Order: sequence, then C-alpha cells, then structure tokens
Amino acid sequence: MNQDQEIISRYIGQPARLPAELRARIEREWGNQPVQLYALADLDHGLRLHESWLALGPRHVALARPVTEGTWTVHSVERSRIHAVQEAPGLSANTLLLLGMPDDPPLAVVRYTQRQRGAFENIRFVLDEALEGRTVEPTDADRVYADAVARPVRDAQALVAGRQAAVILRLLGYLTRYRRELTLGLTAAAIVTLASLVPPYLAGYLIDDVVRKANEGTMARGAAATIAWIAVGVMAALYVIRQVAAHVRLRLMSVIGEWVARDLRAELYEHIQRLSLSFFSRKKTGSLITRVTSDTDRLWDFVAFGVVDVSLSLVMLLGLGVVLLSLDWRLGLVMTLPVPVLCWLIYRHGESLNSRFIRAWRKWSRVTDVLSDTIPGIRVVKAFNQETREIARFEVRNDDVTDEANEIHRMWTTFWPLLMLAVHTTTVLVWVLAMPRLLGEGAPLSAGVFVSFLLYTTMFVGPIEIIGQMARTINRATSSAHRVFEVLDSEPEVRDVPQPVRLTPVRGRVTFENVTFAYDGVRQILKGISFDVHAGELIGLVGPSGGGKSTVVNLIARFYDATGGSVRIDGVNIRTLDTGHYRQQLGMVLQDPYLFHGTVLENIRYGLQSASLGAVVTAAKAANAHDFICKLGQGYDTVVGERGHTLSGGERQRISIARAILHDPRILILDEATSSVDTETEREIQEALERLIAGRTVFAIAHRLSTLRRASRLFVIEEGRLAESGTHRELLAKHDGIYRRLYELQLQLQ
Amino acid sequence: MTHALELEGETEITLRSSGDGRLFAIVGGEAVAVRLRQCFPWSEPNRHLSLRDEDDEEVALVEDPASLAPESRHALEQAVAEAGFVLEVTRVLSIEEEVEIRQWKVETRQGPRSFQTHLDDWPRTLPMGGLLIRDVGGDLYLLAAPGEMDRRSKELLWAFVD
Repeated sequence: MNQDQEIISRYIGQPARLPAELRARIEREWGNQPVQLYALADLDHGLRLHESWLALGPRHVALARPVTEGTWTVHSVERSRIHAVQEAPGLSANTLLLLGMPDDPPLAVVRYTQRQRGAFENIRFVLDEALEGRTVEPTDADRVYADAVARPVRDAQALVAGRQAAVILRLLGYLTRYRRELTLGLTAAAIVTLASLVPPYLAGYLIDDVVRKANEGTMARGAAATIAWIAVGVMAALYVIRQVAAHVRLRLMSVIGEWVARDLRAELYEHIQRLSLSFFSRKKTGSLITRVTSDTDRLWDFVAFGVVDVSLSLVMLLGLGVVLLSLDWRLGLVMTLPVPVLCWLIYRHGESLNSRFIRAWRKWSRVTDVLSDTIPGIRVVKAFNQETREIARFEVRNDDVTDEANEIHRMWTTFWPLLMLAVHTTTVLVWVLAMPRLLGEGAPLSAGVFVSFLLYTTMFVGPIEIIGQMARTINRATSSAHRVFEVLDSEPEVRDVPQPVRLTPVRGRVTFENVTFAYDGVRQILKGISFDVHAGELIGLVGPSGGGKSTVVNLIARFYDATGGSVRIDGVNIRTLDTGHYRQQLGMVLQDPYLFHGTVLENIRYGLQSASLGAVVTAAKAANAHDFICKLGQGYDTVVGERGHTLSGGERQRISIARAILHDPRILILDEATSSVDTETEREIQEALERLIAGRTVFAIAHRLSTLRRASRLFVIEEGRLAESGTHRELLAKHDGIYRRLYELQLQLQ
Repeated sequence: MTHALELEGETEITLRSSGDGRLFAIVGGEAVAVRLRQCFPWSEPNRHLSLRDEDDEEVALVEDPASLAPESRHALEQAVAEAGFVLEVTRVLSIEEEVEIRQWKVETRQGPRSFQTHLDDWPRTLPMGGLLIRDVGGDLYLLAAPGEMDRRSKELLWAFVD
C-alpha cells in the first residue's frame, strides 16, 4: 500500500482502489482491455452518499452501480459514442455527463462530491483530448486515483501520522551522537533524585536514634553530638552534591537539547534547499519557517527537560511510594493511593483546558483576522471612512478573546488550589491517623519516622504535576517532531544520476524532443513540444496565459523533469547533468525580482561571491543601475529591505539584471522582465537587457510583443503545443496566424 | 416542461428540465444547456440565480423565481437543490486533532462521513444561523442548528460555536 492509499484508508474512509473483482469483471466485459483510470461517484441521483464507479478504458467507459453488498451492475459505453463531456460544478455536488448525439439522452450521468473531483477531472481530460483527436494513455490507474483523492490531505499533512512511540524513538535517536554528555546528564539527574531522598531519612534517624536516645540518657551526650554533627555534615554535603548535580544536569541537558535542535535545524534547512520546486508550491512559506524555528525550539524543550523530567518523575514517584510504604505501610497507603487519582485529575484538567484553548485560539484568529485585514488595507479603510466601524469590530473581538482567556484563568486558578487542598487533606489524614499512634495508642509510630514521612510527602507534588502533564508534553513534542520529519522525509523530485555529466562550459544549445509534462501525471501542460535552439539564439516565447510558456522555461532550468520526451542541453539529456553545475551557467530575470535582505553589493554578488568591486560596478553600469545606486544614501552598501521594498520595481529589476550580468550565464531566461514597469523604466531595462543577452542563448517570455521584435525566432505556445514558430516578420506574414492576431490586438489597444 | 420566463421586463426565455439533471434555457427558440449559480448561496439562496452556459457566460439572471410559472419554477427549484447541495451534518461523532489537520467523523443526512480540516480553518457562522465547515478537499458541511444536536455533538462542537 503506497502512502496515498494509506491516507485514503486511514482518513478518508472510502475504498483505496477499485474493488479487484469489479475491475476484473469490467476488464472481462471489455475483452480484457485494461482499466486506465477510474473514479468513485459518491453521490446517487437523490444526492445521498453511496458508492458507484466510473472506469475508463482504451475503448470504453463503464459505470458500475451497486445492487447488493459486493454485487454490481455494469453499464459499458463505447468511447466512440461519446460526443461531448460536460461537468456541472455545484457547492458540494458535481455532475458529469457523457453525451452522445445532440438530442439523445446522456450516455451516463454521475454525481460526486468535491473530494472525487480530481479523479473525475482526470477522466474528463482524457476524454476531451480524445474528442480533439489526441490520445492520452494513463498507465497506473490505482496510483492516479489514490493521488487525486489523497492529495488534499497529503498537501495539508504530507505524512500519515505514524505511531507516537516510533516518532519519539526517532527523535531520541538524535541524542545518540551525544552519548557521553547524555550519560553524564542522566547520572547527574539520578544523583539529584537520590540525594533528595536521603535528608528526610536522616532527619528521622537523628530524631529517633540520636536526639531521643540522648534525651532518654541511653546514649552519651558527647557521642550523640558527634553523630548529630556528622549527620548534619552529611546533609550539608548532600545538598551541595545535589545542587552540583542539578547544575550539571541542567547545563548538560540544555546544551544537548540545543545541539539536537541545531542538528535538526541544519538538517532541515539543508534538506529544504535540496527539495524540488513542487514541494514549495504545496507548502506555505510560513509553515516551513515555523518548522525550522518554533518546532525545533519546542523539541529542544522536550529533549532538554521533558525526557528527563518525565522519566525521573516516574522514578521519584515509585521511589517515594516504596520508601513511604516501607517506613509505615498504613500511612504509606494513605499517601500513595490518591496519587493515581491526582494524576488523573491533572490529566482531565489538561483535557478540559484543551477545548478551552481551541476556543480561545479560534477567537484569537478572529482578532488577527481584523488586524491582517485592516492594517495592510488601511488606505481603503480611510478612503471609505470606516475607522469607527473597524474599531468597533476589533473591540468586540478583543473583548471576546479576553473573556475566553479569563475563563481559562478562572479554571486553572481554581483547579490548582483545589488540588493542593486535596494533597493537604491527605497530609491532614496522615496526622489524624498518626496522632493516636504517636500518643501510644495502636501500632507504635516513632516521632522520627513520622517526621521523615512528613518530609517525604512534600516531595510528591512536583512529580505528580509532571506526570499529569506528561500526555500533553509528549503530544506537543510528537506534533513538532512530525512536522520536522515530514520535511526530512520528502524526497526531491529532481535528482542527479550517480555520475552526472558536467558541461564545461555549456555552449547553449537547447533541444526539446516531443516533451510532455503534467504536474499530476495525467493532465498535460505540455503536449509534445519539439524545437532545437542553437547557441546564441534569442527565442521569444509568446502565447496566451496558461499555455505552457513558464513550464517550458521551468524545464530548461530543470526545476521539474519532463514527464515524456527529453530536454537536451548541448545534445546531452538534462537528466544526466550535474544540476548544480548546470545551474551555475544559467541565469534568470523574473517579473518580480527578488532581493535578499542585505546590501545592494551583496545582492549583485549573490551568484558570484568572489566578484571584484570593479566587476560589480561594471555589471551595474551595464544594467543601467549604477546611477541610481550612487544616489542611494550609502551607495552600494545601502541595505535594501526584506524584499527590496525600499526600491521601486524598476530599480529592483535593474539590480537583478546586474546580478545576472555578473553571473555571466550561458543560458538566460527572462520571464516577463519588463512587464511591471512604466515606459521610461522599460526603455532603460530594455537597454540593459540588450547588453545582457549578447552572446548567450536567451528564452524571453513577454506579453508586450513589441519587446520581442529582435528575437531570432518566436515560439507561439498555445494549449501546451508549439503552435507557430518563426521570425517576427515571418509570423506576421501568416494571415490567420495566432501571433499576427495577438500582435494586431495589442496594436489596437495601444 | 417548457415555460416562458420574463427577465428584467424585456428578455423572454424558456426553461426546461431534461430530467437527467440538465437544465435548458430556450433563448430565441434555441435550447442552451445552462448551469445554475446561486449569487448568494447563504444570504439568499433562492433568489438572484445566474444561469450560465458551457463557457460560464451568463445567459440570464433570475432575480426572483416567484414570478415564474409553476412548472418553470419547479425546474429551477430542482436545479437550485442540486447546485446548492451541501452535506448536512446531523450528529458529530468525534473531532480529533492530528499533525496539521483536524479529523472529523460525522453522520450526515446523506450518510456517514469522515473529513479533515486545516487546524487553523474554523467553521463559519452563516448569516441565517448555523455553521458551515469546509474540508481540505473543498466539500461543504452544513450544521443547520448546532444548538439542537444531541448532547455529545454539542460537547464536541462547543469549542467551535460562539
């Protein structure tokens, strides 16, 4: 069972694949042709949840409806009879219609919830392609179905939450490399525990065997004083040893915790850098940052204190129980029997607080919603004179969250004093039971034993509290560990072969041979594109949005690997290249240039740290950036904001061009580099780009077609196909050409 | 089942239900398959209904179906029921938090269902009352009257209801 099928079984509660006997029956009815795709229609005609299946084969479509448990009626339709496929989406119910001749009733009508929509869209895509005369032949129906159904959960969670114990064990595995420090830390923690148990015993011993005997005259006062002073000295030494051990334990465990957190952060960040772009398109930036920061910090807390506290508290409770029962079993039972109840009460308190916390969290998110709405949108608030309304909205939510927080405070401030009262009640009960015995009634009890007993009882509270909160501590740690391991377990989709080829240097020939590409394995974004671009050519990529232009450049940059066909660089399959080495010879200038937090100098030198200052100035001059940089307060040493927000779009763009010029790539990708700037800035950027592209292979995506007049060739990419190619003049000469139509449309708009 | 429909006082179209879930608008004598979109699925689910063709272009906007002839209105109501369908939760069996997601097990009027929401995705309070939950796959779950559910459901929902 693969991960997607596991997600379906564990979370979604629907079959993880088409039932085997049904599949076999359908394939038999089709003359042993395979089921290529299938989807679960989970709504019947009355819009009740049920289970029907739509299966697609090379020549047929079959709709299987249940008759009784495990028996099906199968209605097959030849694909040649399908003339149209229509989908009517609703809020939660969608309807797919397979239509034959115009006035005939539909060949099949199926209804399904949004959960099944991905799987149905796959079937619809293949049928639509067939109606356009193109053949798509999916090969792994089980995988495609599971991927489509499990994807929303996988994207939200990615890994199926494993067993808690396994996750904790894996986390603790990070401690093994610090075995020596860990042993020392645990030994110190054990010394702290043992040293805590001795003083109460000594107190009892002094009272019963020294003070009382001296008072009764059964021990010489001199001998008694000597023993007493030795005992006091031992006690003092024990306290010193205990505190030294506590220091060693705290110091070592916090340091080990930091080391483990550091290792996790480093491993995580290194792994994130290696992951493919597809991973980042699935995960929110904030969520990834949280994993590297807050989650590893929470794991430090668990490793440094949680592990030791929980294990030593268990040992301490066990030890105290044994000691108390051995000192006096009757009083011992009074103290030990309530312990499980107290732990359970603390656990229950945590659970009831948990739903309070969820409620408070929900109300907090309503407060932050107002803030994240109104602060970025403050101009709109002011323009529409809505300040008063927004203040009132905030006040209501602010009061609401305060009430919720106060309710939480009311709960814990009531609970803990009550719990302590219960502990004290047991102590009073001990007194009640002990007092007659101390006065000589019933089983004898010495004053010393009783004092020891009382001192031990004060030590119960701390471990009880820790054990009561153990479930919460472990849950929090497991949850953070899951989030960290999820990233570590994600495999980069683009990987180098064992002995990759290094092209030194890349000359710049780029060849696409019947390249297909689908993000989900079925719906193709590129549908068989072929071209051969010679070194030094400037290729303009034009066409409607969503046609596949960006996918072409993503494949050239090897952000993704082609699903079918091959991409070749200088005749070598891109999959066999050393990706890092190849990308060193590739440059990109994007529509929204990204500047890192740092100086202008650091940003220009980003791809070539060793570049001299002179080379930086030369690159900036070539990028038409030198002048405005010199006008900045601290010239090239000016720090630009987190995303370069202190600079205008055109200025940021010119810095990114300077960065690309300094990087000196053999293949250059310009993705809408001038689309978001005014005409004057565009002219300056255009000049800079002309200097940049000289002598390189360039792929330029542009919506303003006039900017691509100088291109060696233009590729018109439409619906994933290379619809037209040629020079500007050649394409304009085509009377019904796409390029000509787009060009004329833009001229009219100007 | 063909009925004339007055729209905005000037356009006249005819609506027809095909019986297989399709709705046709007869515009200028020509039958156009249309799908229905509710402009206000929660604020005013039965008014302001947009009829759209295969290319998702609006063919007509029905502001108030009450003015229609009964059979036309019936055809439209059927389409509204289908387009506005959401799963109606009648009982909540469990809500559990896992890594990044909240796992719900519920009984709905349509049958038992398990679904997942993002941890920071909260049920939405609807203008006409009740709660609406959107799961990670995009399905919507309506809790029309959470206050009238059984005790256990109310306990489980307590953290999510004001």
